[in-house]
Amino acid sequence: MSSHKSLSVLLAGTALSFTALTFAASSVSAAELRVFASSQHRPDVWRKAFDMYEAENPGNKIIMETGGNTSELQAQYLNTVMSAKDSSLDVMILDVIRPAQFAAAGWTTPFNSTIGDTKAFMSKYLPAYAGANTIDGKVVALPAFADAMFLYYRKDLLEKHGVAIPKTWSELTVAAKKVTDAENAPAAGRQSALQGLSFQAKAIEGAVCTFLLPYWSQGKDLVTDGKLTFDKDAATKSFALWKSFVDSGVAKANIAEVATDDTRKEFQAGEVLFAIGWSYAWGQFQTDASAVKDKVGVAVLPAVDGGKPVSCLGGWEWGVSSYSKNQVEAQKLVQYLSSPKISEFMAVNASLLPVFPELYKDADVLKAVPWFGSAQEIVTSAKARPVTPRYNEVSEIIRTTVNAVLAGTMTPEKGVEQMESRLQRVLR
Amino acid sequence: MTSVTASPATGFLSGRALRLAVGGILIINGMFPALWILFTSLKGEPELTRKPITWFPDLATTENYLRAFADQPLLLFLFNSFMVALLSTIATLSVSTLAAYALARLNLRFRDLILSAIIAVSTFPLVTLLVPLFEVMRALELLNTWAALVLPYIVLSLPVCTLVLVSFFEGIPRDLENAAMVDGCTRLGALFKVVVPLSAPGVFTAGILAFVNAWDEFLLALSFNSNPALRTLPVGITLYQGEFAFPWPVISAALIVGIVPVAVLIVIFQERVVSGLTSGGIKG
Amino acid sequence: MTAQPNREGSKSSFTRFLDLSETKLAALLLAPAAILLVLIVVYPVGRLIWTSFFNLSLTSGMPASFAGFENYGLLLKDPIFWQTTKNTLLITVVTVPGALLLGIALALMANLPFERKWPVRLSLLIPWALPLSFAGLIFAWFFHSEYGVVNDVLRRFGLKGIIWFNSEEWAMTAICLTIIWKTSSFMALIILAGLQTIPRSLYEAADVDGAGRVRQFFEITLPLLKPSIIIALIFRTITALQTFDIPYTMTRGGPGSSTATLAMYIHQNTVDFLDLGYGSALAVVMFLLSMAVTMVYLRFIRSTR
Repeated sequence: MSSHKSLSVLLAGTALSFTALTFAASSVSAAELRVFASSQHRPDVWRKAFDMYEAENPGNKIIMETGGNTSELQAQYLNTVMSAKDSSLDVMILDVIRPAQFAAAGWTTPFNSTIGDTKAFMSKYLPAYAGANTIDGKVVALPAFADAMFLYYRKDLLEKHGVAIPKTWSELTVAAKKVTDAENAPAAGRQSALQGLSFQAKAIEGAVCTFLLPYWSQGKDLVTDGKLTFDKDAATKSFALWKSFVDSGVAKANIAEVATDDTRKEFQAGEVLFAIGWSYAWGQFQTDASAVKDKVGVAVLPAVDGGKPVSCLGGWEWGVSSYSKNQVEAQKLVQYLSSPKISEFMAVNASLLPVFPELYKDADVLKAVPWFGSAQEIVTSAKARPVTPRYNEVSEIIRTTVNAVLAGTMTPEKGVEQMESRLQRVLR
Repeated sequence: MTSVTASPATGFLSGRALRLAVGGILIINGMFPALWILFTSLKGEPELTRKPITWFPDLATTENYLRAFADQPLLLFLFNSFMVALLSTIATLSVSTLAAYALARLNLRFRDLILSAIIAVSTFPLVTLLVPLFEVMRALELLNTWAALVLPYIVLSLPVCTLVLVSFFEGIPRDLENAAMVDGCTRLGALFKVVVPLSAPGVFTAGILAFVNAWDEFLLALSFNSNPALRTLPVGITLYQGEFAFPWPVISAALIVGIVPVAVLIVIFQERVVSGLTSGGIKG
Repeated sequence: MTAQPNREGSKSSFTRFLDLSETKLAALLLAPAAILLVLIVVYPVGRLIWTSFFNLSLTSGMPASFAGFENYGLLLKDPIFWQTTKNTLLITVVTVPGALLLGIALALMANLPFERKWPVRLSLLIPWALPLSFAGLIFAWFFHSEYGVVNDVLRRFGLKGIIWFNSEEWAMTAICLTIIWKTSSFMALIILAGLQTIPRSLYEAADVDGAGRVRQFFEITLPLLKPSIIIALIFRTITALQTFDIPYTMTRGGPGSSTATLAMYIHQNTVDFLDLGYGSALAVVMFLLSMAVTMVYLRFIRSTR
């Protein structure tokens, strides 16, 4: 039966490819919009949102296009298409780290002329999004959905050992030591050792957040108004903090191999006490196959001693291609997709975090995804990664240094020194 | 199959036991990663984070295969990859056979220069040519067609295939060709009736090279064919991952489904075509 | 033009082919290849060389301006350029001979008179059927310090596992081993095709002369395989200089940039950083490097012909 179904899929696919060829040949009508969506974020539900727009705006037709399944593959694809000044895309979804680059390259059209008072318009969103999407006073993209880094913890184990949720990294170290010492004692009979803390130190985008979390918590910024404001002391402390987790055994020795989903898998297998990760992990922890179902708590990330708690902002934005031949319609569509109505719809139907603060108390949202109630505080505490057109270079410098320092091939001091001189070349 | 008719080059290893041992080494070397993927495709995800690791699946499950077919149009990916690879192979072999014949047999003044130029082409990594190539394909209105992939794939394999064929064509005695032409064959007739069949191992090798190069390619396939109905297997398989999640068991199942047809193809081809032709032709 | 094409007609058109001068026939035979090369390579490469003389960074927000050799000057002072070049050359110098030796061994083994040839042929070709990008991911997993099969085997032999990707040397070792495994099948395939064309009479004659098997290998097999080996070497060397997928998927060039290759650095500058001017200059340098190597090989072929 499955082969039968697949065969029909195949035939349908071939037929589709022929229609696609005819599309390419025929001219595009004014109200036909091509939208590039991210296939890892429930394109089926976005499709329903597009259908709603089509129903409310008769005569409009939206064609959805998707590329590879990761932010990186999508960026590679969009960079190719946009470098070639291709006009086939009207609207595209962008990872929160990219609007500045797209704006500098002249690939996106600002929204200023259609949204009225930009400050007032942007202030309706979660606070960090105004900053992430505004470059030199121009609003270059509008938020699609939110995300942030969370501290996941094992509710059951903290209760069992009478430990409170840590508010600072030092408290977390003490708590982790206490629980893991007891759990890993031979008498406890665990099959594999419980890790105190899992975070990301592989040279991936998440490692940028790893570095920034304690750095930001000390009240320092990396980039202010497009200028580098690198605090060597804060950076050294950040590296030293992460290194101390490895040296003291709170985190494992091969932490430099750990990527985002490794943290999720190991926590889900019941091998981790505290984990730092994005919101997608929650849904996976609560599946029936998970060893930690109903044993997971989520909290604001700890602060450094005397610092403030801070999270790393994620999420995705909608932008209008400056090569689009349907500027007016495309801007209108993006404003619709970035409205409270659609944000609520996507929260309820696709479990994507809302971009409007009030939706975190919305009854429909909380009924569909109850844990969003505890997410607001965390999402509000999130800061955006440096907003600069040369973000990819900044990211590469930070993540490779984090990786080298935590692999032990570079000392924190050497890492900071190298990072500063390389960042100075990128951001003057 | 006695040891007397065995290939003398390696005849000192022709004992049956030795053959089995050598075969075993070859198979382990070549198959191990594929077998590992096969075992993984039968495991559940929790088993992957177990320590110490398990080699064989605890409880073999077909769930990953069902998901691989249910989550994405896997057969469509296979079909597209197969068609693109097949068309690329046919086209590459045609173009490179003609070019190789000219280079091997005709008196060309700039022969070495042309040969160098063809090889020089492959010294440019395609990665760096992505944007100008995209513009070329758009100008030719080939984006979102098989041709957008087939054309660059021909070029990808052309240098190595041409060089392999030149070397084989040069090894065919001119007398055989001349004899065929005396029998009434034209020059091109002699090429296809005498030279190509006698170079069967070379043509087969070139064909495999072209097929696999096209089968493996990822970057151009991702960039030139954004239409979901035209996705090839390497691009399609990335769709099983999430932004962060990398579900090895399901991806392994998809990879296995992708490997099997190629394996079957290789087996059929090498048994029927190569052994038949080589034993008849060259030895004689 | 009749409904039934007659042999005479088709033959006469072929005969006209025959009448063409050799040069004209050659031009005709080479035309399809030439057209494709111009379209797919020469034009884009021309664009690339042109771009390398401009300051063209899409993230700068500034229009392109002529820069002369500025990008090339920058490159000579860029420590990461030198580091990635060094890594690329190291990978080439290690994996090309490595794959050649393993390839010869595999081809000789596969050439044994097996009763069933297909399992052997299949195991020669399967490493290839694994898409390159996934081969890198699979081997990254094999070398994983906790969940990897390599450390598992080491532990079963009572050895300590290695955290491969925590050390510059071990990470490079893991990458080289993976590349050798993945590319030796290409070598083996080309060499095997060559082996099959060696006439058996040569070995029979050597048998009569009383030459041992080892001597036969060095005096008959190896010299006759030389054309095949050189082809394999040229293309393996060129692809080794272009190494991208395997380090990209295994280490991302880490730790630090200790396993990053020149191709990765070009890709990073053009696709990630959108610094098209600088990326193009890097690509031109890489092209010159590959050309130099190819020229050496070609000269070698000519001198031995």
